[in-house]
Amino acid sequence: MENTVERTVTLGSKSGLHARPAAIFVQHAKSYQSQINLVKEEKTANGKSILSVLALGAEKGDQVVLKISGSDAEAALNRLVPLLEGDLG
Amino acid sequence: MKVLRGIPAAPGLAIGPALTIRSAPPVDLQEQREADSPEEALHLEQAIIRAATFLEKLQRTASNPLAEILAAQREMLDDPELKQKSIELIESGSSAAAAITRVTASYAEQLAHLSDPYLAARAEDVREAGRRIVAELRGFTSTIELNQPTILVARDLSPAELVGLDPHFLLAVVTETGSATGHLAIVAQGLDIPAVVGVEGALDETLAPCTLIVDGERGSVTLDPDLEQRAEIKQRLAQARNDRRNLEVYRDRPGLTADKVWVEVFANIGSQAEAQKAVEMGAEGVGLFRTEFLAALGLPTEDAQFKIYEEVASLLRSPLIVRTFDIGGDKPVPGLDIPAEANPFLGWRGIRLGLDRPEEVFLPQIRALLRAAINHDIRIMLPMIATPQEVEQALELIARARRDLEATGYTLRHVPLGIMVETPAAALTIDQFVDLIDFASIGTNDLVQYTYAVDRTNTRVRERAHPLGIATLRLIEQICQAGVPVAVCGQLASDPAAIPLLVGLGVRELSVAPARVSSVKHILSTMTLAEMQERAQEALGKTRANW
Repeated sequence: MENTVERTVTLGSKSGLHARPAAIFVQHAKSYQSQINLVKEEKTANGKSILSVLALGAEKGDQVVLKISGSDAEAALNRLVPLLEGDLG
Repeated sequence: MKVLRGIPAAPGLAIGPALTIRSAPPVDLQEQREADSPEEALHLEQAIIRAATFLEKLQRTASNPLAEILAAQREMLDDPELKQKSIELIESGSSAAAAITRVTASYAEQLAHLSDPYLAARAEDVREAGRRIVAELRGFTSTIELNQPTILVARDLSPAELVGLDPHFLLAVVTETGSATGHLAIVAQGLDIPAVVGVEGALDETLAPCTLIVDGERGSVTLDPDLEQRAEIKQRLAQARNDRRNLEVYRDRPGLTADKVWVEVFANIGSQAEAQKAVEMGAEGVGLFRTEFLAALGLPTEDAQFKIYEEVASLLRSPLIVRTFDIGGDKPVPGLDIPAEANPFLGWRGIRLGLDRPEEVFLPQIRALLRAAINHDIRIMLPMIATPQEVEQALELIARARRDLEATGYTLRHVPLGIMVETPAAALTIDQFVDLIDFASIGTNDLVQYTYAVDRTNTRVRERAHPLGIATLRLIEQICQAGVPVAVCGQLASDPAAIPLLVGLGVRELSVAPARVSSVKHILSTMTLAEMQERAQEALGKTRANW
């Protein structure tokens, strides 16, 4: 059953979505079936693509919208939101 | 015969035939595929897998910081968007090589435009990943095949290309681009291969088959040397081999002048691997542990740092002098927002950054060092000090870290504190520091650069700095007269011409690259202290007429 969930998150990681935090996020995102997108202003990134997440250039305190659609969307949202809000290092 | 000048990037001497590596012809971005679209897509996927396998193989043999560069590129090869976007282009008629080049270039472009210097620097990783895939697509063997002893001449060599070469046949490397501190220099030094970079016109000059002499010490490349020069170089090489054998006896001895005055010979290191090398080479301690290399992926936490300092100190079982992070606008650290500056060498760096951002940068490192020093002889050294006030501020922060740790139950030892003397300001006022510090270590590279206002990586002006000029020597003399133990940890410390002058002026510790430890001990043993003092006075007494 196809679900679409969406949540606005304020980035908590002190370095925003830099190499290490981005890699951790992408790694988790890849473990879900659902399609996972990060939207910052007019830019949309594929949450499973390190290049596209890096290219967002998201910094600490930025608001990003996490959009997830697919069979495990809820589970993905529950895992990824705290990840973005916390400090990924 | 002709001599080309460049920047010395890795020491050593070599003579041999030149092999020029032309950069691969650029990919035609409009190139159309010949195969049908599923087949071309399959080619691409296979090329990506081969590129990944190749990088993984290199990664296993590489040490930091090269391993991190390779890891970043490896990760990009796995990117689903990279593949998806390239396949879309292939479906609309593009060749695989054109598709992957366009996609990687577009990501590189996006990253390069981000204001964050760390992310912008990832642009080069994406391009490099793209080039690696194209090389696989075109069926180039992943490595340049050497089948005889060769001197490589190239516009630029990526660390991956250099590591892939057969070290038995690679005599030396010459490139047209690059800097003394670039990736290539670091890797060549690690491999012990002489390298000269920034040699303008190197490729055009070596078009026809020719023999080269590469002097990685002086930064010179001699084209088609005459018989006399060839004989001389062969003799120098034989001599060097001979010297290496003779030097081995010095490895396990302390550094002593001919009249048995002890001058400690320490090593400069940047990683655990180099600490191991320092021990093997007979260093009496570590005079400079450059901790900024630990921050290549972001500042490590206090606990992570504690673990590294413990590990390195346990390997050594001798003094370990740790320089606190010397980072700034020219060395972006992920997670640490340091604005790009027009003059990073005169900017927000070293202790300045540490004192201004104590919670993030200075205090966690100090706490980790104080903890590691409980069981080891660890000493703390502050970089880029210009005034005694900076040392006072650092001392207050260190006292605070100490109180915090003691409140949680630690019993700490006294940890000696020293400063790097690399600004003329600190050198000229060294007497104002003596009651604040336990030792001073002269960073000659920066001291010379700041004294003569010469950027040593700039080939147009680098000859205008005088590491053994009267200005430098007077500053060193003044530092030595202040009454604190003085070390030298810059390049001068292993320069045969400089050693007698430094010791003659009063320096009692020389900290050098691990590979130089034995030869420095040897040079020390050839003269008495009185002879060195005499030579130093002569050098100081030089006038304009006999500079």
